[in-house]
Amino acid sequence: MLEIKNLKVSYNELNILKGIDLSLNKGESLAVIGETGAGKTTLSLSIMGLIEGHCTGEILFQGENLLSLPEDELRLLRGRRIAMVFQDVEAALHPLYTIRQQIIEAILVHGEKDRDFAAEHTRQLLARVGLDERRGDSYPHQLSGGEKQKALICIALANDPDVLILDEPTAALDALTKAEIINLLRKEAKERITLVITHDIDAAAKLAERIAVMYAGRILEMGPTEELLEQPMHPYTRGLLRSYPNMTTTKDLQGIPGRMSHRVEGCPFHTRCTQKIAVCGHDVPELQKKNSRYLACHRGGIIPLLEVKNISSNIDKVEILHSVDINLYEGETLALVGESGSGKTTLAKTIMGLFTAKQGEIFLEEKPVIQRKKEFFERVQMVFQNPGESISHRMNVYQAVKEPLDIHGSRASESEKQEKVKKVLDEVELTGDDEYLKKYPHHLSGGEAQRVAIARALVLDPKLIIADEPTSALDASIQAKILRLFLDLQEERGLALLLITHDIALARKVSDRMAVMLQGTIVEEGPTSEIVNNPLHPYTKCLIEVAPTMSREISEPLETNSREEDHETETDFQKGSSDSQQNCPFIRRCPHPLPRCFQDKPELKTCSVHRVACFRHTVHWPT
Amino acid sequence: MHINYWQETKNDFFGKLGLILITLIVVLAILAPLLTSYQPQAYTDTAFSPPSWQHLLGTNDVGQDIWTRLLYGARTSLIVGCGAAVLSILISVLAGCTAALFGGLYDRLMMRLVDAMIVIPPVIVVILVAAYLRPNTLLMIVLIAVFLWPGGARVIRAQTLSLKERMHVAAARTFGAGWLHLLVHHIIPDLGPVIVATMIRDARRAIFMEAGLSFLGISDPSVISWGKMMQHALRFSYLNVWKWWLLPPGFALSLLICAFTFLGFSLEKILNPRLRKGVSHAGD
Repeated sequence: MLEIKNLKVSYNELNILKGIDLSLNKGESLAVIGETGAGKTTLSLSIMGLIEGHCTGEILFQGENLLSLPEDELRLLRGRRIAMVFQDVEAALHPLYTIRQQIIEAILVHGEKDRDFAAEHTRQLLARVGLDERRGDSYPHQLSGGEKQKALICIALANDPDVLILDEPTAALDALTKAEIINLLRKEAKERITLVITHDIDAAAKLAERIAVMYAGRILEMGPTEELLEQPMHPYTRGLLRSYPNMTTTKDLQGIPGRMSHRVEGCPFHTRCTQKIAVCGHDVPELQKKNSRYLACHRGGIIPLLEVKNISSNIDKVEILHSVDINLYEGETLALVGESGSGKTTLAKTIMGLFTAKQGEIFLEEKPVIQRKKEFFERVQMVFQNPGESISHRMNVYQAVKEPLDIHGSRASESEKQEKVKKVLDEVELTGDDEYLKKYPHHLSGGEAQRVAIARALVLDPKLIIADEPTSALDASIQAKILRLFLDLQEERGLALLLITHDIALARKVSDRMAVMLQGTIVEEGPTSEIVNNPLHPYTKCLIEVAPTMSREISEPLETNSREEDHETETDFQKGSSDSQQNCPFIRRCPHPLPRCFQDKPELKTCSVHRVACFRHTVHWPT
Repeated sequence: MHINYWQETKNDFFGKLGLILITLIVVLAILAPLLTSYQPQAYTDTAFSPPSWQHLLGTNDVGQDIWTRLLYGARTSLIVGCGAAVLSILISVLAGCTAALFGGLYDRLMMRLVDAMIVIPPVIVVILVAAYLRPNTLLMIVLIAVFLWPGGARVIRAQTLSLKERMHVAAARTFGAGWLHLLVHHIIPDLGPVIVATMIRDARRAIFMEAGLSFLGISDPSVISWGKMMQHALRFSYLNVWKWWLLPPGFALSLLICAFTFLGFSLEKILNPRLRKGVSHAGD
């Protein structure tokens, strides 16, 4: 049982660890992840008692405080009860001794007298880690990186320790070797307390049941591995996951803006955080337990920015939206996909207040939106489908970008406004010279006009941008640039994006979550990678089937079911909304409908990480 | 993209004719004191004189110079025409645009008011009112404007209804713009040509109404006006002086109204794309 209580470590007055609390029981494993310089290695070295800095707090190993033990006693523990696989395989092995000699040394140091026993044990160890018997007589420089890593593991395991600390056990290894080492370590870690120190999220996930995210000497978030990776709660954790290349997520890589500093008042992450508030600057958030998770954030983790609850909307007595529910978190992209006419734009306009909702509620930052005042528009902005038309043809670039500032009646002087306009134009990668500012919309290319439209939306510093088919009028290369721009803005400002598109291939690259819309209802919702790789709703499957690929294969168009049915639903639709609510909106095109689908409308139900509205995937199937 | 209305008007024959005529009359009215040696109110000793070098268009019953009175009368016509046009377009824009923007009950009430106003024969009401008030120029402008605005308001409301569905108006609303901002920055700039056309039509009608009311003798007697000149002349028709006295103001009035009509006609052609062939754009 290893328990760390309020551990603080400082080197030369600089605090590296600022109060770490951890507790690990036998058989448990914990991975500490974070950027370089977060204090991960310092944590491992201070458990080993190898730290040169000044330590306070307690490290309790089976009831004994390691920090107060004298060096002699500590030496008895080190390598025998608590062992470590050191970072940097090149430097950790002695170049003048053979591997076998170094392993035997580890055994003999702890009082073993019988050399033959030690040699035999070494042989067993080498076999256990899968290292050839003969390689034992090699010098470190004769071994490959993977073999050296295995040798180091042998040394650590030599005395069958209770606590195994692995510091970057897989860094600098190729993928196959890494997989081999991970397999080995996972076997060896059973029945021990394992602490994995790594920046490699994959290794952490595979080696540990729990993950702690460390930043500037503090733990920001801790929780069960799967849960934490699926749904990070701290913005820093999300940033780490977003910047980690892997085969699960499909979104383009994004980094975390800024640099880590150990000399920050308040929340250590607040200088880089996009959702900071005043309190983050001077108070340190406590690590608090929330269900199975621990989280240190004044805002309770990534905040839900926009919540649309049960919204229905009519246009001329035809119901376009049927109780739509969506959530959008800070700094997140939610792609709303679906064919034209499915109500995507209506939803966007309803959120913006251009249409009034018949029922339902909208919450912005957990406060209900009743009347849209200027404060609302300062937080939420929209980029329209056709950039050229959304800018008045009587306004030049400068006037167009300045318009929101004028409306908000900011007391800023004209020159301040001009500065702001130029800054925001620079942000969207347009020149702010006077000649350009005097151009009219019809002088601009499609891509430029869209950038101007985005600049207009950005000039008020919103937290959420609703982008309605922002690139449908642009060619692919310009589209790529515009989307890159959105992602960069998201990274820098924590901008949340509600991306409305019919292009699922595009949504796949830029969104964190995806909601599929059909005839005014959300039929499936979930993490983008899940929706794309494992669609549940037949409509989503169709959309993915026809999504752009680089091959000559074509997919068959969906045929509608029986003609009679077709006719019936057609008239239902014309009659209005009430009747078409009586069956599944996809019934006409569904390849394998159930009898129930003709009578009832499926509701959105949770199914693994998705939410799906399909009777075939309803968990509680009534008999 | 932007049609150069000025260039278009200049290129059109009727437009050019109308502009030249209006400019001519405006110049004559402004330069009136330089073009005559008489005061419009001054009596000379010769009454009923036919045109001569001394009196270019002759004199009237009390010996006032008709040419001089014609020049000063143009001022009244132009001031009343332009004043009433400006005032009525202001009311039209305000009423039409707000009705279209707000919609609902306000819109319905406003449009029924417009309907009611259009049904009332303006001349009869103005005669009744004027008979009591004996209006001076300013009051005349107000009176005429009150009866001119409903027609314009209808046109402008219709146009605004279509303009407010434009994407850039929706975009401005998503910035949180209020109705005044929408009106000033988005609707009115696009209404420009319609406003000009309506104003020209209003000016024409105002000039005609002013002349008519003066002819009926119900305006302020001290105001010199072409209508009043004709009314006076008619009283002396038995003296066979009408051709020297009645024709000049009648002709001048027709010319001014024709000028406005020509200008309005050519503007209509420019504004309605189906009536024109080649179009000049801004910057051409």
